[in-house]
Amino acid sequence: MSGILSVFNLNLLIATIRLSTPITLAALGATICERAGIVNIAMEGIMIIGSFFAAVTALATGNPWLGLLAGLLAGGIFSLIHAVATISLHLDHVVSGAVLNILAFGITRYLMVLFFGHPGTTDAIPLSLYRFQWAIPGLSRIPILGPIFFNQTPIVYFSFILVIFFAFVMKKTKFGLHVRAAGEHPLALETIGVSVFKIRYLAVFISGLTSGLAGAYLSIENNVSFTEGMTNGRGFIALAANISGGWTPLGSFLSSLFFGFADALQVRFQIIKLVNVPSEIFIIFPYVATVIVVAGLVRKSRSPKALGNDFMIEKERD
Amino acid sequence: MKGNLKSFLILSLVLVLVLSMALFSCKKKEEPKAEETAAPVKVGMATDVGGLGDKSFNDGAYNGLLLGKERLGIVPTVVESKQQTDYVPNLSGLAEDGHKLVFAVGFLMADALLEAAKNNPDAYFAGIDIFVDPATAPKNVMGILYKEEESGYLAGVLAGLMTKKYASASPKLNDQNVVGVVLGMFIPPVEKFEVGFYQGVKAVNPDCQVISVTTGSFTDQAKGKEAALAMIENGADIIFHAAGLTGLGAINAAKEKGVFAIGVDVDQNPVAPDTVLTSAVKGIVNSTYLTIESMMQDRFEGGTTKTFGINEDSTGIAPFHQFDSMIPQEVKDIINQTIADMKAGKIKIATTRAEAGMK
Repeated sequence: MSGILSVFNLNLLIATIRLSTPITLAALGATICERAGIVNIAMEGIMIIGSFFAAVTALATGNPWLGLLAGLLAGGIFSLIHAVATISLHLDHVVSGAVLNILAFGITRYLMVLFFGHPGTTDAIPLSLYRFQWAIPGLSRIPILGPIFFNQTPIVYFSFILVIFFAFVMKKTKFGLHVRAAGEHPLALETIGVSVFKIRYLAVFISGLTSGLAGAYLSIENNVSFTEGMTNGRGFIALAANISGGWTPLGSFLSSLFFGFADALQVRFQIIKLVNVPSEIFIIFPYVATVIVVAGLVRKSRSPKALGNDFMIEKERD
Repeated sequence: MKGNLKSFLILSLVLVLVLSMALFSCKKKEEPKAEETAAPVKVGMATDVGGLGDKSFNDGAYNGLLLGKERLGIVPTVVESKQQTDYVPNLSGLAEDGHKLVFAVGFLMADALLEAAKNNPDAYFAGIDIFVDPATAPKNVMGILYKEEESGYLAGVLAGLMTKKYASASPKLNDQNVVGVVLGMFIPPVEKFEVGFYQGVKAVNPDCQVISVTTGSFTDQAKGKEAALAMIENGADIIFHAAGLTGLGAINAAKEKGVFAIGVDVDQNPVAPDTVLTSAVKGIVNSTYLTIESMMQDRFEGGTTKTFGINEDSTGIAPFHQFDSMIPQEVKDIINQTIADMKAGKIKIATTRAEAGMK
């Protein structure tokens, strides 16, 4: 093939979006959740739950939009377990997250066998959200930016909207201020009469919704079936994306884009046989890049002050 | 008072647990006595972490067991491994539980298989896709390998011919003379498929470019799709995959972009009937059954590795289904001739990238 420069073309950038979308959505969820003070490492588990229910619903009803809704809601409801565990029962956030990850994989396997009689992978859904790709008239004609941002599939559009929406909410609305306060100084928030519990519950639920959506993307928009383990660690990459993004929606978005870019790049490097090394080197390239970025940026990035701290109103009143 | 109630409850619970354990263990002792007169042979199988439902590998082995049940009356058991640390406990557990023959499915289980075989000398063990060294291995374990390169070679011949010389047969084919291979993890069976494919393509179409991408996973559809899309962007019109469930994503990409895909392990045409041209098959069902049969007939080939190939009906390519009329007769003739030559030992196919001269 021609040299390394041939790899840097429009397709690479479109691929970046395609690969980063599930990470963006999960990372956005992590941002909201952790800003409110709840550590969430269960995004991987919530994603796989979202993937599963989206595919199952799309299969059962033939309607991928219902599948999208189902994936969303399944993720949200599943995340409530984390909410109850960490907020009401005051359990360790990391432990709860880890347990949820294991539970999610167990549930999806169990239900796979229950619904389909076998584990592994489901049949193909009759209609995928990929078929609903929409080129926004006018905007999609803009050179370079057009095909990348304005000629996409539904959940990708949702991810763009959510990035902007969350950034706006966090910075400019009262609710956003409450969320940030819940993660920085919950007592101050409680003092002005806002229930920290309610804010945190909402934050966890929202993170469940976005992670569920991320999972739905994998099974009914990017592909046409559910496969056990199809998230393949993306939930954990989202965690890193959130951290290196400084716990902001825009930062999470950019970090996710970076990982997607690195992943898209390594595939194309393999094709042109950039260097004669074992293919495993290419495969770990995006992960190594992420580690370097997180290690490099984490000093600048400040976590919410009360992140992971349990908030018990009775204790504070003494 | 409360404290006493608590301790009473705990004690009763413990008592109930102990009693039920005693009760259930008593039950177990009775059963074998009744069965001793006509004990059916138990054959066990431990899957790798992919598990059943992969529509190829593990399912194939399980179907071999079911064939054994149907024809030889054995009692099959399947245990699924969730992670690699489960392998040894699963295999040993099956042996300890009275299974006369225990299958390990998958290259990744090689070490576990040998360890279980050493610890359970009274049971037979067989490893699918596992090499058993005759010099060092115990006599109760056998390796089953396949000549995946033969199936890959035939698929390569088909792809090499269709992508250029006979490209006019279908609008899905272009004149770029590029084909692609999507790989899962780079383990020997996968390498053999790829290398065989490469040689098959080059044998009939030396100028064809064969692009290869390794995804590193057998369960990540998104990565499979990405690899295939990148290849199609570079002009590939036939995408072969040796990537398990990751390959479903590759087939999906081929379907979306209106090109052809070639499946692997089993006939994957049902996955996407208008996209999957053929599949490079691996006769796991057949070879599993034959191994069980050899054990039942007291001619188990322990301490060796048996390689199943075209002469044991264990390699080849799947039927063309709806593409049967599209594929020119000349192509089918060449393929049939290739098969005949393979059976006669006239074709030497390399099994590693280095041997095949792949850069």
